[in-house]
Amino acid sequence: MTDKEKLAKLEEIFELDEGTLKATDVLAHLDCYDSMAALSLIVLMSDDFGKKLTSAQIQTFVTVQDILNYMD
Amino acid sequence: MIASQFNNMKISGIAAAVPSHHVDNMEYADLFGKETVEKIIASTGIKGGYVCSENQTAGDLCYIAAKELMEKKNIDPSSIGILICVIVYHDYVSPATASVIQKRLGLSKDCIVYDINLGCSGYIYGLQTVCSLLQCSSAKRALLLIGDTTSKTASPFDKSRMLFGDAGSATLIDKCDESNNIMRFGLESYGERFKAIILPAGGYRNRNRNASHERVLWGDGNTRSDYELVMNGADVFQFTLSDVPNLFEEYFNQFGLFTKDFDCLLLHQANHFVMKHIARKIKVSMDKVPVSLDRYGNSSGTTIPVTICDKYGKDSCSGKIHALMAGFGVGLSLGVADMTIDAGDVYPVVVSDDYFEDGAVDHATLA
Repeated sequence: MTDKEKLAKLEEIFELDEGTLKATDVLAHLDCYDSMAALSLIVLMSDDFGKKLTSAQIQTFVTVQDILNYMD
Repeated sequence: MIASQFNNMKISGIAAAVPSHHVDNMEYADLFGKETVEKIIASTGIKGGYVCSENQTAGDLCYIAAKELMEKKNIDPSSIGILICVIVYHDYVSPATASVIQKRLGLSKDCIVYDINLGCSGYIYGLQTVCSLLQCSSAKRALLLIGDTTSKTASPFDKSRMLFGDAGSATLIDKCDESNNIMRFGLESYGERFKAIILPAGGYRNRNRNASHERVLWGDGNTRSDYELVMNGADVFQFTLSDVPNLFEEYFNQFGLFTKDFDCLLLHQANHFVMKHIARKIKVSMDKVPVSLDRYGNSSGTTIPVTICDKYGKDSCSGKIHALMAGFGVGLSLGVADMTIDAGDVYPVVVSDDYFEDGAVDHATLA
């Protein structure tokens, strides 16, 4: 999956308009990135990537790129 | 998974009780911001919950439900040989809340009476416990009381407070001759994740660590004291998303069951988001999943009996319901069960603010 496709998936779960999310965006600065978004991220990782995302792992994410890297 | 099956037990009555004060979650808009509150309501499905007074305890709510059940079913108190309470927020540190309720209900001394400290998995564990006790004892009838008042230990400045509601319940279980009355259980526990939902202070582990009643800002952005409930939402959600569906799968394999065998799926009402994901994972349509959390919130282990009373307690409901159920939460503990419930034995949720005045015990009253 390309980074573009991954970003599209994140835009969908974070309820953002297409093409607005950038890999360099800092998560803490995104209004949409809250505790409910974290739950949506857990579902995405489980359904689409077969990964069991933990809170400890979530805390290591600083930028959107960190999430994209985790998807590999 | 530990599997159990009982062929001669029957649920012969279910009642539930809540206090009269209902809190609408929109009341938190000033504190947490309107947009945040609306978002939480939309995703969790929880619009509010019942909150008891300072004086009322989970024991009171269970007692009210038990009294209602015994009156409606005309139950002789001396016929009850087992009384088990599943309550986290107990009346006293000691004795067991069950002992207090034994006295209040006027049960005989010939009775097995104790508490179990479990939360959201409590209904499944409680039923498995009373069935096991009935199976191996001379007792013929058991009363299982599940209740909690999480409002008392969730910080008013913690957003997760909006998820909880207070409630109590009573379920009557009889040993019967009919061998076709099957009750099955599958239980698991992940003690390694005991910190995922925890009330850190108030017990004896942290006594010398300067546990504080002062509310401070925690790393998760919520303000609470060491004496208030902490939940790691992401880890608990991961648990419900993977471990709960896995237990269902093992349960179906163990007993040779299929989801189509059941009339309804009674899920612990944690939040609507969680419930939808579990139902989707085990391929059950949400129209088979009764929902009560919109009005009652998450009342810990009480959500299953509250949902049963809310859905099937109406006079118009009758007939047998083959119910599949699951409870999961603090421990982390989880259980799946299936059984047949007669809608005629289910009563509507009672509303009462009564409390046990003689229960006030301190240096002035205990002379």
